[in-house]
Amino acid sequence: MKTTPDNSGDVRLSGISKTYGSFTAVHPLDLTVPEGSFFALLGASGCGKTTTLRMIAGLEEPTTGTVRLGDQDVTHLPPYKRPVNTVFQSYALFPHLDIFENVAFGLRRRGIKSVKKQVEEMLELVQLGEQARKKPHQLSGGQQQRVAVARALINHPKVLLLDEPLGALDLKLRRQMQLELKRIQTEVGITFVHVTHDQEEAMTMADTVAVMNGGRVEQLGAPADLYENPRTTFVANFLGTSNLIEAEVDTKSGEDIVLKAGGGKLVLPEARCSAPATSGGKVLVGIRPEKISLTHADDAGSIPAGRNRLTGTIADASFIGVSTQYVIDSPVCDELSVYVQNVERDGRLVPGADVVLHWSPAHTFGLDAAQDIDAGTEEEVAA
Amino acid sequence: MPFVNWLKRHLVVIAGLLTLAYLLLPNVIVTVFSFNQPKGRFNYEWQRFSTDAWQDPCGVAGMCGSLSLSLQIALWATVGATILGTMIAFALVRYRFRARGAVSSLIFLPMAMPEVVMAASLLTLFLNMGAQLGFWTVLIAHIMFCLSFVVTAVKARVMSMDPRLEEAARDLYAGPVQTFLRVTLPIAAPGIAAGALLSFALSFDDFIITNFNAGSTVTFPMFVWGSAQRGTPVQINVIGTAMFLVAVLLVLVSMVVGNRRNKQKA
Amino acid sequence: MSTLTEAPPPLSPTAPEKKPPRRRGRFTPYWLLLPGILWLVVFFALPMIYQASTSVQTGSLEEGYKVTWHFATYWDALSEYWPQFLRSVFYAAAATVLCLLLGYPLAYLIAFRAGRWRNLIMILVIAPFFTSFLIRTLAWKTILADNGVVVQTLGSLHVLDVTSWLGWTAGDRVLATPLAVVCGLTYNFLPFMILPLYTSLERIDGRLHEAAGDLYARPWTTFRKVTFPLSMPGVVSGTLLTFIPAAGDYVNAELLGSTDTRMIGNVIQTQFLRILDYPTAAALSFILMAAILAMVTLYIRRSGTEDLV
Repeated sequence: MKTTPDNSGDVRLSGISKTYGSFTAVHPLDLTVPEGSFFALLGASGCGKTTTLRMIAGLEEPTTGTVRLGDQDVTHLPPYKRPVNTVFQSYALFPHLDIFENVAFGLRRRGIKSVKKQVEEMLELVQLGEQARKKPHQLSGGQQQRVAVARALINHPKVLLLDEPLGALDLKLRRQMQLELKRIQTEVGITFVHVTHDQEEAMTMADTVAVMNGGRVEQLGAPADLYENPRTTFVANFLGTSNLIEAEVDTKSGEDIVLKAGGGKLVLPEARCSAPATSGGKVLVGIRPEKISLTHADDAGSIPAGRNRLTGTIADASFIGVSTQYVIDSPVCDELSVYVQNVERDGRLVPGADVVLHWSPAHTFGLDAAQDIDAGTEEEVAA
Repeated sequence: MPFVNWLKRHLVVIAGLLTLAYLLLPNVIVTVFSFNQPKGRFNYEWQRFSTDAWQDPCGVAGMCGSLSLSLQIALWATVGATILGTMIAFALVRYRFRARGAVSSLIFLPMAMPEVVMAASLLTLFLNMGAQLGFWTVLIAHIMFCLSFVVTAVKARVMSMDPRLEEAARDLYAGPVQTFLRVTLPIAAPGIAAGALLSFALSFDDFIITNFNAGSTVTFPMFVWGSAQRGTPVQINVIGTAMFLVAVLLVLVSMVVGNRRNKQKA
Repeated sequence: MSTLTEAPPPLSPTAPEKKPPRRRGRFTPYWLLLPGILWLVVFFALPMIYQASTSVQTGSLEEGYKVTWHFATYWDALSEYWPQFLRSVFYAAAATVLCLLLGYPLAYLIAFRAGRWRNLIMILVIAPFFTSFLIRTLAWKTILADNGVVVQTLGSLHVLDVTSWLGWTAGDRVLATPLAVVCGLTYNFLPFMILPLYTSLERIDGRLHEAAGDLYARPWTTFRKVTFPLSMPGVVSGTLLTFIPAAGDYVNAELLGSTDTRMIGNVIQTQFLRILDYPTAAALSFILMAAILAMVTLYIRRSGTEDLV
């Protein structure tokens, strides 16, 4: 492995895994988080994301593999010897110390005597200068969260780890703190590794997202990449919503694969298909609900050529302001979701109406049909 | 029927206050009779007001000596039981180990055992070993029965403590010793204090186990017991009243101080 | 030879990884447990064994005792002292029921109705602890004195006639009767009932009362169907904390009772400290222990709260 000496804020995990008895929390995993990036580990609870984070922090010792910070192998260093700090889930502020002493804790433990100026500056940065002498329980959730961030950042760690840092906040405050954290990260330029189960949060904040499931990284990439071109059913369902249709490979023409679904044909760019496409084989065709256009069956003639089409009947329509969400029963697939922006509403699109669904082949993605088609859906995650 | 309705609504309060009166009545009697000037050897019947006993609280042979002995034993029993009990509590909450069930039973049983059984069996042991009954046998016995109560009190506190707090300390450059001294101990302190306080009260007031294992050593409860046979000096009531007042006063002061501190900070 | 079984694995350059140093020793819990557990083993468990062995010994103080597996001691002790055993169980049960009846309203009052008086009442419940219980028990001699207000009032209301007919009191006296002993036991162990009751009542969410009321439950029904079942852990540990020490107590029977109210604790104490008949005393004490353990185990099973510890 090549190492560049100035990348001391890189986090390199090679082959790390964690097993508890017969249960494997994290399967051998390789991951590199570049210095200065905002990296999110996204997954449902129990997927191994927190364990991975804790191995970086040193709170959990990996069963196999190594953890490196830049060039330094820190695998066997205890947490108090690692230049890494953590913002804990529900903050873990010391209840017996006031805010000032909470923030000063790390500095004092490293034997720094004059902490006053630094702590005050840090508290100003998170806008808590007034609250220095209060105890944690006297602050609101958002304020406690900022103390937790200040307490970690004051140590100038090479990497800041955030374990569901916004989980305890209400929706509005969470949005606000997402932006706030992003701002702080840009300002201090420290590597942030953020663990969350909230896909929206991960996509809003992170440069790179690793989606974890069952102790493995399913897919890693920029948020837009992951969303537009998921490579597993889990990612397709966990990040937003996907319509997955089982289809059979018919022919290949140039860069496209032609598939048979029900009676019709669908076209899929080969580059967007993560499954091996052999003639006669099965593929899951995926399309995001907002990429689909709806046209009443009477106007089917007006649909431009070259678009993928399916026919169906509207089963349900719910108006939610900016868009209308339709559930469509189609011969190839029950319950297709379609989101249509409320620009010009067609009054004929009501439950019971026959419609044609059509979309650009460029928005289609293909997945291996051998996977669980429901992996990562809300019902599946809840179960 | 407004009165019946009122009675119905406040029945619980009235019953509760009556129970409280039942609990406090003996203390009132003890206090009132500390100002008595009894006719005979026993101080059970009111004769006339006098402050003699208050002016000479140690005027009875042996009583203040037994009081100071009880205080010493209670102090050392508290120290011993608190240290040993806290260690056990931490082991129980924080570690996995073999024979956990056996350890838990061994902690629970002394609390579920009538005192007289423990007293008698301990005496059998001491007699078999040929031990000299006295200060040390009493202290050993007191540490033994206080231990379980400390474990219970500390365990409850440590269990309710968020393990992430210690992880946070380790994450913030505190080594194992620093983590224990700066975070674990201060947060567990109320539980340890509760256990220690309980130990002190239990040890100071213990009669049955002490009676079996003290030999000719006389603690304060044993002095009171003896005087119930020979004649009860008024000074006993003086000591009882003084202890009650000191306890209430200490608690009230600590509450007022606590309240003021909270108000200042809020 | 340890070399055969505990030889370290050969150090080879191809060993994949150095074993990490253990942050927390595997033996730490044992070191933490050792002193305290040793104390309990030597001064609690071992004495029980000594006592069991003493109970089957024969001999005399002068000649010394030998283990002769003389189980007849148990039979003799039981056949001679069964009234005291029965009396202990009966008095302790009566005191426990009284404690529950008296303690519940007070615990309820502190938990739900006391408002800003809560802390003060709490202090008043605990504070008597700090006055020696012997002194406080002696005060009952004054309260229940033959010519005192309580006894005079009860007498003129003819209550004492009824209680005497029931065998609880004797003539126009309360002192030196079963009633006085039970009264003293109740008084002494009442805080042990109130505190666990309060703890479990305090945990009940006040909104449950409102929900019950909202669902057409009258106050009494709310109590029966919601509050009381939820306070069961407190009731169970409260009754145990009252019954166990009450059954083994001899102080109240000695100070407030007479020779007719002697409990098993009195017998054990006398046998041990005055008559010096160690085998009989040990056998009695062993029977008491076994009986109480059996009752407690059965009770905990029946009430379904096994996580008391």
